[in-house]
Amino acid sequence: MALYAGIDVGSRTTKALLLNDEGEIISYHVLFTGADPKGASFRCLKECLKEIGKSLKDIEMIVSTGYGRKLVNFATKEYTEITCHARGAGFYFPQVRMVIDIGGQDSKVIALEDGMVLDFIMNDKCAAGTGRFLEVMAQTLEMSLEELAKEASRAKQAVPISSMCTVFAESEVISLIAEGISREKIVWGLHLAIAKRIASMAKRLPQGRPIVFTGGVAKNKGMVRALEEVLGEKLLVPPDPQIVGALGAALLARDLKDEGNRLNHHRTD
Amino acid sequence: MALSSFLKCLRRPFFWSIIRPLVCLYVSKERNRPFTLWVEFLCWIFKEAWKREKPVIWTNSFFPVEFIYGLGAIPFLPEIFSALVAYFDWTRGPISKGSLKTSTDLCSFYRCALGLKEYEVMPKPDLIISCSQICDGTKAFYQTMSESLGIPHLFVDVPFQKDENAKRYVKSQLEEIFHEAKNILGLKTSLEDLGKSFDMAKRTESLMREIAHLRKSKPAPFPGSEGMSYVSGMSFWALGSERGLAFFEALKERIEKLVKERRGYLKEERFRVLWLHHIRPYYPNPIMEFLKKKGVAIAYEEANYPWWPERGGEDPLEDLTEKLLSNPWYGPIEGRLKLVRDLVLEYQIDGVIHFSHWGCRQSTGGASIVGEMVKSMGIPYLILPGDGADPDNYSPGQTLTRLQAFIELMERRWRFTRG
Repeated sequence: MALYAGIDVGSRTTKALLLNDEGEIISYHVLFTGADPKGASFRCLKECLKEIGKSLKDIEMIVSTGYGRKLVNFATKEYTEITCHARGAGFYFPQVRMVIDIGGQDSKVIALEDGMVLDFIMNDKCAAGTGRFLEVMAQTLEMSLEELAKEASRAKQAVPISSMCTVFAESEVISLIAEGISREKIVWGLHLAIAKRIASMAKRLPQGRPIVFTGGVAKNKGMVRALEEVLGEKLLVPPDPQIVGALGAALLARDLKDEGNRLNHHRTD
Repeated sequence: MALSSFLKCLRRPFFWSIIRPLVCLYVSKERNRPFTLWVEFLCWIFKEAWKREKPVIWTNSFFPVEFIYGLGAIPFLPEIFSALVAYFDWTRGPISKGSLKTSTDLCSFYRCALGLKEYEVMPKPDLIISCSQICDGTKAFYQTMSESLGIPHLFVDVPFQKDENAKRYVKSQLEEIFHEAKNILGLKTSLEDLGKSFDMAKRTESLMREIAHLRKSKPAPFPGSEGMSYVSGMSFWALGSERGLAFFEALKERIEKLVKERRGYLKEERFRVLWLHHIRPYYPNPIMEFLKKKGVAIAYEEANYPWWPERGGEDPLEDLTEKLLSNPWYGPIEGRLKLVRDLVLEYQIDGVIHFSHWGCRQSTGGASIVGEMVKSMGIPYLILPGDGADPDNYSPGQTLTRLQAFIELMERRWRFTRG
């Protein structure tokens, strides 16, 4: 059985995923990227293989993606997260016309037509509106990410948060805590602020529907709720949104089979 | 200490006389005659400007420099000088000094020039002449310089309208500036002298038009990255001079030869891209090399489009008025939209990259409108945020991801349209 691997080396987490010839997901694994993205990508792939009792030699093609994609020197080819998330989202929802991907370091909105990327938009170089932003805010509020998400999914009131710069927003949150504003209001306010930022990006692209929400932050039900409220419509969320980039990469690896590329196995030894 | 000695050297005409043959010999190894002529021109202009035998006039990029040559003065362009400093990766210090005096939202080329003034590496002007097009920061920058240096500043206000009133208004200002500049500098220049420089400019412009035509060839014979550096540098700084004419003759000869031999500047040209905005990042960065590796040719760049009508030659100031009033980057956006549409079609463009320079209002302000038009033509379009002079305003990872995604988009589109 030939295997096709996708590796998404993100700023916070690395994801590896294996597909078989039929395009079925055989296994996947997620771990923290840390300071060694190349090592993390290799370890992540090894974990996937271990789970199904296979070795590197069983892999036909590997495609890497994510900010550390160029560091995966054993990959057959590398694609950007934009192409991979578009492809991965289309695997679950073939009718997808827009993808919102919020990862650890950046956020993107991708417009699609017939499964092809039509246009895209990325956030600026700062962490505003990303997973890292929420992590810092959770720390400031002395909550875990899970608690933050839970609070946001049931919150009824919000306090407006004007700063989207992670550092300034942190000071704003500290001031709000000092003013005695409830955590519920702050948490919901933060989620709505991110959602508004993403919505303004989405509005600059062709307005295709349905919208699929991918990336690690899509696991946060509060964020899904905030985006749905701001965008005024239901979002489609894949079963595990965090692995959509790796899935897209694996699907592209499978496509490469037809292009006659072959993995240079000795580079992985 | 070493820096101050080096800066002292830069201020000596003798230094530029000595270094000129050495540098020219060094760069001539690349067998790129136009580039050698550019280097030679820079050494000459710096020598002349520091020598001060002729008056030095500071001016902005879009003021017709042939007017200054015609006056019998040496032009000095602080904006282009900033780009040169960026090329040597030395803008951080000047930008940081310049930013103390102004908002950090101001274009980094101007902030850099404000800082460079403090280092005294730009020859002091005898006069400043600038015009309102096209950069928004121009007037404030040159007025600040005028006040801090105690040098008179003559300013041409070009209106957005392009009617008869506007023509009269601009021409009368040019006439006034011509006489005022002569009085201030004590020159005896006549309108006929101005005509000589304008005639040189006319001959050069005809070459520029031929080059623009030659560059429509497939594969792209000449890299847009060079077009946006020394070629646009020469068109802004040397038009109306003998050196400018010699440069464009050499450039035309080079491109003509490549076109005849059907040689592109890339080994394999996969996509042809149009670069919008007059600048690119000049400090060391991997953008152009990345595009090259991916087989993406910058087939043309709006920076080098000779937009103005051919000169009649009978009335130099009338011709200059026409030039100023026909600028497509100044005034209603429709002019730029038409230009971009024409360039996309004429240069058989597969994708358009709009470089979005930090602090630049007049160009990036219209980026989305231009994008809508380009996309309506079925052509992929990318707004690439960055900074032409400030490396600290540039994010390599994000920039390369945007560019790579854009290339992937063109690839998929190409596969789709060709089945």
